[in-house]
Amino acid sequence: MAKLKLALYWAATCGGCEVAVLDLNEKILDVAAAADIYLWPVAMDYKYKDAEAWHDKFIDVCLFNGAIRNSEGEHLAKLLRAKSKVMVAFGSCACFGGIPGLANVADREGVFARVYGETPSTDNSDGTRPQTSFTVPEGELTLPYFYDTVKTLGQTVPVDYFLPGCPPVTKQIWAVVQAIVAGQLPPPGSFVGVAEKSVCEECPRVKEEKKVTAFVRPHQVIPQPEKCLLEQGLICCGPATRGGCGAQCVNANMPCRGCYGPTERVTDQGAKMLSAIASIIDATDEAGVKKVVDQIVDPLGTFYRFGLPNSLLTRVRV
Amino acid sequence: MRRVTIDPITRLEGHGKIEIFLDEAGEVANAYFQVPELRGFERFCEGRPVEELPRITPRICGV
Amino acid sequence: MSGKNSFEPRIIGFLCRWCSYQGADLAGTSRRHYPPNMVPVRVMCSGRVDPTFVLKAIADGADGVLICGCHPGDCHYQSGNFNAMRRYPLLMKALEQFGIEKERVRLEWISASESEKFALVVKEMTETVRRLGPLEWNRRLFQEGQRKT
Repeated sequence: MAKLKLALYWAATCGGCEVAVLDLNEKILDVAAAADIYLWPVAMDYKYKDAEAWHDKFIDVCLFNGAIRNSEGEHLAKLLRAKSKVMVAFGSCACFGGIPGLANVADREGVFARVYGETPSTDNSDGTRPQTSFTVPEGELTLPYFYDTVKTLGQTVPVDYFLPGCPPVTKQIWAVVQAIVAGQLPPPGSFVGVAEKSVCEECPRVKEEKKVTAFVRPHQVIPQPEKCLLEQGLICCGPATRGGCGAQCVNANMPCRGCYGPTERVTDQGAKMLSAIASIIDATDEAGVKKVVDQIVDPLGTFYRFGLPNSLLTRVRV
Repeated sequence: MRRVTIDPITRLEGHGKIEIFLDEAGEVANAYFQVPELRGFERFCEGRPVEELPRITPRICGV
Repeated sequence: MSGKNSFEPRIIGFLCRWCSYQGADLAGTSRRHYPPNMVPVRVMCSGRVDPTFVLKAIADGADGVLICGCHPGDCHYQSGNFNAMRRYPLLMKALEQFGIEKERVRLEWISASESEKFALVVKEMTETVRRLGPLEWNRRLFQEGQRKT
């Protein structure tokens, strides 16, 4: 059998997904035995022009991580979609927007004003901003266009498989790699390397009746290790989040923040989370409810931590 | 003036691009390093609870 | 749209089948006048109104959303409207972070006999939303043509 042709790319991302692939450790040699890698900027020296020269569908599988933040990300997404038989949205940024997607609280100007002007460590009295085109004595330099709104990969090009996680856990990556090599992938459009049910199903903590009279913030308490975090008043996104991670954060005594995205039947992870939190508030009058809700400081940044671009509202109105 | 474009620069974390301009003799006359990537952590960390930042800022660089 | 005065808000109303929808019905049979801007959606209980419904209405172009249920204590299912009561403040807090004025989403308790209150609430809300102007979530925010629907 001919070796698989593999491409890995990152758009707006942190590189943690690349490290998650490397965390396969010695199994990476099995990957190398089954596949040749044709593009992987973090690890190998291929240029964009090499990719442009491939014929369409040259690549068998493209693992694309990162959100689409600017015109370069969009260009590479479209290029690699055309050159690849199978496109995999790899990691939470590509699947849902991820942490870079939180930038949808602002627009292009809002981000630029802060980054290139207001930050205490910035001295930019000339008000210099990135330009898409700039003429220097030797010629013209170009930069990508920075969008107002961060997009997911799926909002940019058709995606065959979604492998979420921030980053995806290694054993799930390995399972998917094996499925790819064996040609045993599920129908296109599926999520892979995930559990069917929520993080709560994987969470080993004891769950009893959930009635919360006061929410606490993670720095205010050391949670009991055996009892459901929500029952202890900590906002935990487990109920609205797809499992597959093995409840890693919860097992480290930290509440879930939803990186595996919504479960199969949920449209909007944040709305579902909001609903789950509201249903455990132990109050039966408006003033009592308000008192408890006031303790939840950042619903948007907590319930949409990894999925603002993938949400129904997509972004904040500015 | 001849121009050599290295896009992307590879085997490191992050996005980068280098434009090198050569003179008539083929020597480097000037070179520009560009970073075509920005995510705006400076902006979207604003408004987040401070105790959540240890779970947001690690995504600046995951390598 | 030529100006704020000629703007006709589109309001989606989720009305509980047992109280508020009956109240709306009574408003009709009693020939009470109220603006036609609210499109009613009959639900079994205000507790059935998942926050997703509200977000979906806004994302698809509603300028306002009205949720009406039985008065607390009167729920046909005993406690459904308490769920609506618990969700609402948290939803409002999130919507405020999304940049949506709180007057655009309203929760009201309207019994089957309160046709006058129903007409008044719809009238007030229509005027308030008209003053706020169009929300146009589905159009205004995606001028770069970035959003795939």
